[in-house]
Amino acid sequence: MSVLRNGLRLRARIVLAFALGGLFLSVLLSAITYSVTRSTNLDQRTESAERQFFANAASIQDLSLSADPSYSELLRSLPQVAGGSPILRDTDEENPWIAPALTAADLPSSLVSMTESGDGAFRMRYDRPDGVSSLALGVAISNTNVSYFEVVTLSELDGNLSSLLLTLFVASFGTTMLSALLGVWASTRVLAPLTSISSAAGSIAAGDLSTRLEERADPDLETIIDSFNNMAGSLEARIERDARFASDVSHELRSPLMTLRASIEVLESRRDELSERSQAALDLLSDDVHRFQRLVEDLLEISRSDAGSLDASFDPLLVAQLLQAVMRTTNHLDITLNVGQGSDEALVNGDKRRLFQVISNLLENADKYAGGATAVNLVCSNHNIRIEVSDAGSGVPTDERNLVFERFARGSAARRRGSGGGAGLGLALVAEHVRLHNGRVWVEDRTDGLDGSVFVVELPRFHE
Amino acid sequence: MSQYLSVGTRILTVEDDERIRTAVRFALEDEGWIVDEADSGEAAADMFANEPADVVLIDIMLPGIDGFELCRSIRRISDVPIVMVTARADTHDVVAGLEAGADDYLTKPFAPKELSARIRALLRRHRVASPDSPILKVGDLEIAPEQGVVKRNGEELHLTKTEFRLLCELASTPGKVFSRESLLEKVWGYDYFGDGRLVDVHIRRLRTKVEVDAAHPRHVVTVRGMGYKLQS
Repeated sequence: MSVLRNGLRLRARIVLAFALGGLFLSVLLSAITYSVTRSTNLDQRTESAERQFFANAASIQDLSLSADPSYSELLRSLPQVAGGSPILRDTDEENPWIAPALTAADLPSSLVSMTESGDGAFRMRYDRPDGVSSLALGVAISNTNVSYFEVVTLSELDGNLSSLLLTLFVASFGTTMLSALLGVWASTRVLAPLTSISSAAGSIAAGDLSTRLEERADPDLETIIDSFNNMAGSLEARIERDARFASDVSHELRSPLMTLRASIEVLESRRDELSERSQAALDLLSDDVHRFQRLVEDLLEISRSDAGSLDASFDPLLVAQLLQAVMRTTNHLDITLNVGQGSDEALVNGDKRRLFQVISNLLENADKYAGGATAVNLVCSNHNIRIEVSDAGSGVPTDERNLVFERFARGSAARRRGSGGGAGLGLALVAEHVRLHNGRVWVEDRTDGLDGSVFVVELPRFHE
Repeated sequence: MSQYLSVGTRILTVEDDERIRTAVRFALEDEGWIVDEADSGEAAADMFANEPADVVLIDIMLPGIDGFELCRSIRRISDVPIVMVTARADTHDVVAGLEAGADDYLTKPFAPKELSARIRALLRRHRVASPDSPILKVGDLEIAPEQGVVKRNGEELHLTKTEFRLLCELASTPGKVFSRESLLEKVWGYDYFGDGRLVDVHIRRLRTKVEVDAAHPRHVVTVRGMGYKLQS
């Protein structure tokens, strides 16, 4: 879960980085585009205004050669670029300014003085008194006292530029969104191997040690995939080695046990020939060889269940019949078997050998630590089968009720006993086997108010 | 009954561990069997060829030719009951031993008394339910329990003693479904906790001999979740 959460946060970071990158790039490009366009437009306007201005100045020059030039008439007929207005100053006249559209105040006085005192044409960008951004051009007409000016309004140009600005803004926004989408896609691609690593780790933790990551050609991923697979491999080998060691030791112990058991049997058939003392020694030997054999078999069983219980074979079994058979085989026919109503036909899908061990170990546990089982009950619901083994012992303290199912962890009652106890694997095996059958086992107090405990095995009921 | 059966019955035990061999021989001799010993598969094959035993006890882990191979080579010349001894009760070893032709198996360490009981069960003859009909006919099969002969279309088939007793048990009531438990009890003498794999593998072996096409059996039929039955 935490892997997933970190993955999501990383994903958000990647998306954010892509979006910010996209935003930065598009704003930068927009700014460059805007300034380049603006200066280009300005240059073009200026250039065409100048061309027109000089053509108009030439027309005025021509007119000045005539005897009585009527400048105001000409000014009105002169062609102008968009936003352009002519202004003429003839110092020979009493009223020197002729300005059909504007007034002399609209011209910057510095330009006027530069034009009149200098030789040639002048150009100036300025803001008119009313705030309009403008271009002013001025030239003194040679051999006369006439100066010709033109004022070109640049505000129209600003209007064009502001629509460009809007376009660029929309484009930047779109680009940023597109970058974010790209980020989502890229982060998914980048995180995909992480997701598969996390699910592989999960299935290893759940017990499937053979899980490996798929090889990929990508050299960036190769390292992590290799090291993950190496880790999983050595983990699997280690766990297998541990399980095999226990199993190998148990197998090696079987040969000497075989000799011991056969030899003891030979001695037992000659029991009468032995002295009383030898007979007692033989009994001790025989008992402990049996105990030793049980320990070896239980260890083997535990290591087998650690290795994954490949040999389990599940068949539908009649639970009541199974219980009877266990009690007959283990000489517990004196215990009452109560089969609940409708439970005699109940089936469980089980491994016969393991279920035998479950029941016989519970009976044996009661024999050893609680003076024997008092009753075995079989109660079935539609979904579950409950097998209850009751005893009249001193009960199991609440804080030991989970502990008794641990390996080699016997309850305090068993520890006090000292000798004659089992190996401490009996109930652990019960728990392992019950888990293999998808069931549960626990211990509780007797419900009828008497002293003693009840070991309950709950298994899923099988329906044909 | 047991003493009677044991008298004069020769058991060949094949085991490479001398201590086990000696201890088992002592215990089996106490039960009244005559015991021959072999310490390798090769020696056992030679001894069996010279003087066939009534029962062969084979340890799977042998130097040289292993227990499975020895079992197969004895099966090629004899229908003698064979008991395999394994150090592990894993499915692989047990099934491989039974497939090789063993009739039963025991896991070390076993009680020699238990071995004697197993051997006695394998040496039992099939009890004829109805002596007045000495020959049972099922489809193209003809079974003569008294003579220990089974023929298909007049041609004699070679079954081991255990396969024959299994067939006779099924043939005693054709069409009746026998559970694995009841077959284990009647043929092998096991109680409820006998190993069902014994029945399954023997049924497979039986099919390869009595069926025309063992993959599609017509006579020895599996009844899912119930057991097996014989039909014509």
